[in-house]
Amino acid sequence: MSQKTIKLKIKRQDNPRSKPYWQEFEIPYQPLSNVISCLQDIQKSPATANELGVNPVIWDCSCLEEVCGSCTMIINGRVRQACTALVDQIESPIVLEPMSKFPVVRDLMVDRNRMFRALKKVKAWVDIDGSQDLGEGPIMADSVRATRYTLSECMTCGCCLEACPQYTKDNSFLGAAAFSQVRLFNLHPTGAMHADERLEEVMGKGGIADCGNAQACVEACPKNIPLTDSIADISRQTSLKLLKDLLLK
Amino acid sequence: MAKITQDQAHFLLLKINSLMGLIPIGVFLAFHLGINALRTVGPLQYQLSIDLINNLPFLFGIEIAFIYAPLLFHSMMGFYIYFSGKRNVGHYGYPRNWRYTLQRITGLIVFAFLIYHLGTTVAPKIFYGKHQFLAAPFLMDIMNAEFQTWSGRIIYLIGISSATFHFANGLWGFCVSWGIIIGQNAQRNASIVFAMVGLVLTFLGFATVLEFSLNPIPVTPTVGE
Repeated sequence: MSQKTIKLKIKRQDNPRSKPYWQEFEIPYQPLSNVISCLQDIQKSPATANELGVNPVIWDCSCLEEVCGSCTMIINGRVRQACTALVDQIESPIVLEPMSKFPVVRDLMVDRNRMFRALKKVKAWVDIDGSQDLGEGPIMADSVRATRYTLSECMTCGCCLEACPQYTKDNSFLGAAAFSQVRLFNLHPTGAMHADERLEEVMGKGGIADCGNAQACVEACPKNIPLTDSIADISRQTSLKLLKDLLLK
Repeated sequence: MAKITQDQAHFLLLKINSLMGLIPIGVFLAFHLGINALRTVGPLQYQLSIDLINNLPFLFGIEIAFIYAPLLFHSMMGFYIYFSGKRNVGHYGYPRNWRYTLQRITGLIVFAFLIYHLGTTVAPKIFYGKHQFLAAPFLMDIMNAEFQTWSGRIIYLIGISSATFHFANGLWGFCVSWGIIIGQNAQRNASIVFAMVGLVLTFLGFATVLEFSLNPIPVTPTVGE
């Protein structure tokens, strides 16, 4: 009797400049496997159906509980985290591809640096250091705290950007994740003291006005962050700032 | 006046583009389809509305400032927006993503349709110098002839429905892009209201096409000749 197996079809790329190619793998079935454990099994003795001793598949991962975002890849055509993609719940053969909106480092590992540059650009932090003791910050209402908690769950995984038709490799769009962080830090009572600086950063090329409201981001977000509410809210904040700048400055 | 940076200009142009879809282009579309629907009341009523428009003071200036220049700006920005994204409904076929794609496709269709529409109405009107009371019989003859062929009818039905979809969906986009509606419920409710606006405008347009197709009645100038 033949042994039950798991079949995987993986899009591979040896280095950032080389051409991608496909390889198929077959590993013994184990109950409760996820995509990461399959990749680990391949790593033990990397071989395709007709070729022994191929290079092991490279991927990125860390927390294995969907809070770090580093194992994000395209699984069966849809972007998600590999750690929570359970083999028993997804179609076979399992097709794995690296995200298409970021430069591939190798195989399934991509460089999401553009996302972190976006966070720096929009000043996604609360300034607490000054030349003198700033004292305690203002008190935050619990309703604001609750809203901010949801927004703070963003793990910069890139799902929203992979699904976004407006985010492409050859433009400078900042994307839903960065806009939502502007909302997060503008909602913070101390962060709000620098609200205008954050808004200015999203009122240019690649900024909030470039959003085409396809709203694929909110569907793709694994953390169910209300990204489209954030986009509309930042749209309002920037619209008001535009009117204020035109009329009052 | 402070010098405007490239980033500020980019932001401002996109915001104005979104607003311009509503004012004046959307308002013009609603008036255009509404007034044309007078044809369903009768050829005389329709003729009087064309007479009124073609006897407006500074008509050429009004047309340039409120119709042609905004349309040209909206079209050029539209092409820029079209090429700034890469549609992906194949992988992520969510309803809103479909509407994003359709908004861009209908924009292209309406652009092509307007070239045809202006080429068969406004261009000959100016070329043959049919102004004031001479405009109505001239234009109505053109429309009567155009709606006698199925190709003419289909071109108009596609053009009108693309324009009304683009406007109704664009109204929703304008409200989100300017931050007028924010929450998910508000966005859903607004999309229902704007869908109804779009359906009413589509009905007006289709009724006019039907009337022209069934009753191609020629008219003589109200005054003069």
